[in-house]
Amino acid sequence: MADRPADIQYTKTHEWIRIEGDIATIGVTDFAVEHLGDLVFVDLPDAGADLEAGESAAEIESVKAVGEIYAPIGGEVTESNEDLSSDQSNLASDPFGAGWLFKVKISGDPVEGLMDLATYEAQLESEAS
Amino acid sequence: MSIRKTPLHAAHAAAGARFVDFHGWEMPVQYEGILAETRRVRAHGGLFDLCHMGRLVITGPDREALVERVFSGNFSKLRHGRAKYGFLLNEDGYPIDDVLVYRDHEVVHIVINATGREADTAWVKEQCRAGGFDATVENVSDAQAMIALQGRASEHVLQPVCSADLSALRYYGFANALVCGHEALLARTGYTGEDGFELFFEEAHAMEVWNALAESGAALDVAPIGLGSRDLLRLEAGMPLYGQELNLEIDPLEAGLAFGVDLTKDDTLGVPALRARKEAGVKRTAISLAQDGGRVPRTGCPVLQDGVRVGIVTSGGVSPTVERNIARALVDASCATEPGAAFDIEIRGKPHPMAAVAHPFYKRAR
Repeated sequence: MADRPADIQYTKTHEWIRIEGDIATIGVTDFAVEHLGDLVFVDLPDAGADLEAGESAAEIESVKAVGEIYAPIGGEVTESNEDLSSDQSNLASDPFGAGWLFKVKISGDPVEGLMDLATYEAQLESEAS
Repeated sequence: MSIRKTPLHAAHAAAGARFVDFHGWEMPVQYEGILAETRRVRAHGGLFDLCHMGRLVITGPDREALVERVFSGNFSKLRHGRAKYGFLLNEDGYPIDDVLVYRDHEVVHIVINATGREADTAWVKEQCRAGGFDATVENVSDAQAMIALQGRASEHVLQPVCSADLSALRYYGFANALVCGHEALLARTGYTGEDGFELFFEEAHAMEVWNALAESGAALDVAPIGLGSRDLLRLEAGMPLYGQELNLEIDPLEAGLAFGVDLTKDDTLGVPALRARKEAGVKRTAISLAQDGGRVPRTGCPVLQDGVRVGIVTSGGVSPTVERNIARALVDASCATEPGAAFDIEIRGKPHPMAAVAHPFYKRAR
């Protein structure tokens, strides 16, 4: 299991968000990656795309299913992690680092219910039981 | 309705399986991962819990006449000790289920899908009553366990715990023998495209037999396999899944499964209707598609040719064996379908190219 960072925020739908100045970096948690199983394809938003908070922004496809990634915050996409389009292994091995998905220049408020690490892990516990 | 569990559920949980609700059954979808499990079966072998599948036993003086009435295949020419694939057809020639029929001397066994346990039983009983056959139709799905052992190592895994000489058992043959000292029917059949066996025996011995096979298999890299890999293995081998390739609106001729129908039979339900449709010209045809990488084709994706919608994907996936994305699709018979013919499948409104390829995707070397 990847070590989950304490300095980022988490969503109910298993995205994470790191805010540095007016730029937010967005990814998915190790739990989401593990749940999807063998990954085969990642579809990321293009730079320049305008995202609204809560909107479907990306898809991670595994052998078994397609996982939707929702933007935890609105803004203009500044960069996508293009390395993932040809090789998804970083997403499985380092979901909080090299497996980041995309960055946005923040405009507006984040979705409601962002959680700190302790709250997110408590949610995982309750989902597992 | 509460979810059902097979007698092997605890073994799957102990082995770290991830479970899924499969038509009301909590079944293992994967253990080590769908791709790894698929590779394991192709290279060595795998063990499958199929207790959720349905099993009918037909006895009585008219049992074979009843089977002739409800089973689409050429049953009368089937030798005792052999199994045959075919369909239970309704009057209109559409399949209620696809089945394997095993002809024994005093009894006929029919293996049906999990989804058909109640409906198929009711259907065959109704035909028995309506036709006035002196036969007894018994649903033994709960009383019997079913385990499959598939892959090139199968014979070596099973032989140490089995009383029969397995080398004498041919593909699609079956025998009554002892497994772990318990009476069992063992058939050289399967749903993976590999050599292997399907075992039927009293439900109470399920865990004992499973553990014995798991132990015997471990030394030969044979391990339990989940339903995710089972679906991929059968798709690679070109085998249909009832509900996807076949249903009450897709008949066996369209699905490319005419080998399961004896069109010369007059007294079998649904066969005259199929014969009439064949004479009129079958309007749709099943094809195989493949593509290197990209989005994964899934059941229900529209299929286009030259920008025009011509059909749907019935099953799709990522094949670790041929290392391509693969799909079965049902398209208009007027389409160009020769190998290399260009199609697109539509995913979220965007076309993704795939090409027609020879069927099946995978065939084992014999």
